[in-house]
Amino acid sequence: MIRRLRIPAPEDFTAPSHSPQVTARLGLWLGVAFGLCFATGVLSHYIQHPPGWFTWPTRPVSLYRITQGVHVLSGVAAIPLLLAKLWSVYPRLFVRPPVRQPIRLSAHALERISVLVLVCAAFFELVTGLFNVAQSYPWGFFFPTAHYAVAWLVAGAILLHVAVKLPIARAALSTPLRRRRAVPGADDPNSSERRAFLRTSAGVAGIAVLATAGVTVPWLRRVSPLAWRSASGPQGVPINRTAAAARITVPPDWRLEIVWPGGRETLSLAELVALPHRTAELPIACVEGWSVSANWTGVPVVELLRWAGAPTGRPVRITSLETDGLYAASTLPAAHARDPLTLLALRINGEQLSPDHGYPCRLIAPSRPGVLQTKWVARLEVLR
Amino acid sequence: MRAVRLLLFVVGAAATAYGGWLLLPQFDTALPWLIGGPVLHDVLVAPLVGLVGLVLGRLVTNRLRRAWITAGLLASATLLLIAVPLLWRPPSAPANPGLPDRDYPLGLTVGLAVLWAAIVIVLVAATTVDRRVASRRTDSQ
Repeated sequence: MIRRLRIPAPEDFTAPSHSPQVTARLGLWLGVAFGLCFATGVLSHYIQHPPGWFTWPTRPVSLYRITQGVHVLSGVAAIPLLLAKLWSVYPRLFVRPPVRQPIRLSAHALERISVLVLVCAAFFELVTGLFNVAQSYPWGFFFPTAHYAVAWLVAGAILLHVAVKLPIARAALSTPLRRRRAVPGADDPNSSERRAFLRTSAGVAGIAVLATAGVTVPWLRRVSPLAWRSASGPQGVPINRTAAAARITVPPDWRLEIVWPGGRETLSLAELVALPHRTAELPIACVEGWSVSANWTGVPVVELLRWAGAPTGRPVRITSLETDGLYAASTLPAAHARDPLTLLALRINGEQLSPDHGYPCRLIAPSRPGVLQTKWVARLEVLR
Repeated sequence: MRAVRLLLFVVGAAATAYGGWLLLPQFDTALPWLIGGPVLHDVLVAPLVGLVGLVLGRLVTNRLRRAWITAGLLASATLLLIAVPLLWRPPSAPANPGLPDRDYPLGLTVGLAVLWAAIVIVLVAATTVDRRVASRRTDSQ
């Protein structure tokens, strides 16, 4: 028997995985994954571009390591969940528009547009995020701003989608997956296939997380085959930007400059080395989700400011020898500037900093993104 | 419920509008990457998944076996997707001497091998249990 090929209708899809009970549960899980991803992503954005009202604690020292780890791993978990959710609602793509009823048609069109925005934005976030962790940028836009803007599109479109679907989703979620039946006997095959589809989706999301979590969870480093970054590198810590890539040449007469309103002080490397040191175990936690702890030795920034006679408890602008590039300077918020664990590090894991790690000295502060841990420091400026 | 839905609608519309406004300066370069996902999924990925599902349904009639093979295929596809940016680095990416610093093809191969080995073990164990149960039933009759 040969049937004529035609565009399918929603009724043609009979698999139990397309039932609203499955869709609503996948939607709930995906909502949790995207919610975690959005919240931690907005946090990371605010840490790097703090609005006036925003403060970020310096303890625990791994706080940013944890929030950014949650960000990338919830994004990874969302990949199979999004695909499972789209598979579950795929028949809805073929719903014929109610062309003869103008009011219902416009409602139908609005819903379709909101879903299109949601799917476009969700794919965009997962794909660009995944390429960013591999530090690959095969596109023309600037990743951080585009990824941040589309995050708001995803969040808004999810809320719109929930607003539209709330009655159906509530009914589907309150229907148990396993029907209680009066007659004992074999399980209803549809019900068991629905549960199998949900179990598989959750299991695959778990496998995806396990396969990548080694970038930030130390005991999974050897387990995760697709962790995009190893924990190794020169002096035990990976490097994102080398001294050569940043075109750094340290002048032989290098002096650290400390500037504050109404004063200025400079000191040579020998003088810096002679100041009292402190050693602290702090993580480098990158925005790409990888993180590695190291033992850093150096002069606490707050002690250095006191030694120079500069005011403390204020934000401090740290400038690198690097002349261009986005991360040639960073501003330590007041809380980090007064924290005794915020170091101008001279040594890493007992060795002198190599050029790629920021020789002659680099900033290392607790609970901050790696891109703000300025290397090759030349100048500290106490702000008002 | 009406009030909740209205609130969700207002906040959702505001957040979407804010995102759109933020994206406006880069909209032209981002557009292909926005549209690409759903087009690829709806035209290529979903029909392919449906086709594989139909073929699998014909080839494997045992429900338990089919469920585990489906799970293995979905997990493999997900791992492959996650590996794409690690395996395929278009030249437009800026040179970075720090990355890639692991053997990703080897990691992916080992990961897939472990996954399928686990599935084969589960299926063999399940088949053995099934046979024992079946033979016990025939014994007791």
